[in-house]
Amino acid sequence: MVVINSQLILEAILNGIISGSFYALVASGVSLIWGTMHMVNFAHGEFYMIGGYILFYSLTLWRLNPVLGIILAAVIVFFLGIGIQRFLIHPMIGKPGWEHAPMILTLGVSIFAQQAAMLVWGERYKSIPYFAEGTIPIGGISVAIQRFLILAVCSSVIVVLWIVLKRTKIGMAIRATSQNRDAAALMGINPFTMFTLAFGLSVSLASIAGCMLAPLFLINPWMGHGPLLKSFVVCILGGLGSVEGAILASFLLGIFESMGVILISSEWKDILAFIIMLIILYIRPQGLLGIKERT
Amino acid sequence: MLVVNNIDVYYGDAQALRELSLSVNEGEIVTIVGSNGAGKTTTLRTISGMLHPKKGTIEFLGDRIEHLPPYKIVSKGISHVPEGRGLFPQMTVLENLKMGAYNTEAWKKKDETIKWIEKLFPILEERKDQLAGTLSGGEQQMLAIGRGLMSLPKILLLDEPSLGLAPILVLKIFETIEQLHKEGVTILLVEQNAHRALDIARRGYVIETGTITLSGEREELLDNEYVKKAYLGR
Repeated sequence: MVVINSQLILEAILNGIISGSFYALVASGVSLIWGTMHMVNFAHGEFYMIGGYILFYSLTLWRLNPVLGIILAAVIVFFLGIGIQRFLIHPMIGKPGWEHAPMILTLGVSIFAQQAAMLVWGERYKSIPYFAEGTIPIGGISVAIQRFLILAVCSSVIVVLWIVLKRTKIGMAIRATSQNRDAAALMGINPFTMFTLAFGLSVSLASIAGCMLAPLFLINPWMGHGPLLKSFVVCILGGLGSVEGAILASFLLGIFESMGVILISSEWKDILAFIIMLIILYIRPQGLLGIKERT
Repeated sequence: MLVVNNIDVYYGDAQALRELSLSVNEGEIVTIVGSNGAGKTTTLRTISGMLHPKKGTIEFLGDRIEHLPPYKIVSKGISHVPEGRGLFPQMTVLENLKMGAYNTEAWKKKDETIKWIEKLFPILEERKDQLAGTLSGGEQQMLAIGRGLMSLPKILLLDEPSLGLAPILVLKIFETIEQLHKEGVTILLVEQNAHRALDIARRGYVIETGTITLSGEREELLDNEYVKKAYLGR
């Protein structure tokens, strides 16, 4: 049993906020897609993985700096997402079986992407250096600059997403489509265009998250698993389809987990996430910010 | 202005409209009355492109529109205020109005249009930052109509605007519809409340089991024995 002191708690909270910002970035994309298209994208984690690989090759092969590498990853994955939505998912919209079809399809895309990544890029794990070396001291503990960068980049991207959804015409149209697709069409909004944009945006966020985490964890074809599961947890916790809820739940989960790690042991971290999910769902079945389904 | 010519519309295998024809001239208020399930809503949904007829044509200002998707029909100048209002509940009143002006032409003029609508419905100005889902039924209907006007339509399709409202609000909504008409908006009004609808409309159609069974000027319909019995309860 470790002695719990204030430094340990501070460190845990800080770590929690950092992982929370990362969960939030991955999960807000899942939530956005659930909200607009009412489908779960099981391949979300693979876009995260592809983001990591694009950054790896940007740094090693093309000798770009990390900022350009991340932008490149975000742009490439955005268009990749648009292509997948347009050619694979779009033809199924409105057809019988829409409840299950996207799940099976995206699961297929996920398996395909993992196998393809293994064949093309190999099984060997790849690593990239931290974007910046060194640590910053805060109240007696020191935190790696890389971790601060994760917090800064993930949070700013979420703020940008927020502004896009709340303030721009396109963002408003995406929200309108998610709240009432028929009415949106009557306003002159092409819902299918909004689906495609939302999908591109969503996976592009995952790729940025993949880039930010790549220096901490090794890049490999299966790296998308963990973040995908975690983002399901926070989406359900926050209330399905509520981007705000997903963001809130991400930070809560991040802090809970890192507090849990100092209280119990770190192997229990992932189990903790699901325990919290079960407890909250028991109390609030619609999630933290979810709206009760009106029947 | 709007000519619906012999349309057949199906939901899957079930036929909802049979050889339905009607027309609306510029500047008119025309009403379609009929009971539940007669095909009133289906008619409007077909005009606005949510459904497509299997047979027949729909012409608007001389162009065939029956094959167009709804988001293209709006920009032609047809605005459909759907049954049940179809608001965006998690968006504010102002955001809902802005979405009504989504097409490029209307978007440029949206600030002016919003002022006009706030003059028409002062309550919407008071509530502009409130979420649409938290408004009362009457306010929601006003917002739905206001949002429908944001696209600066040449014709407004209103589907049961009085549905579920208290009598005093029904009165207010119908007064507004009359006022809109005076301001030059052409209106096609679908109503179960035949009394009120024939009060403000100049012409009317009676729809039964998916087809028009009777049509005429307001007075003709009000005098018609069958209409009196079936729809006016006299």
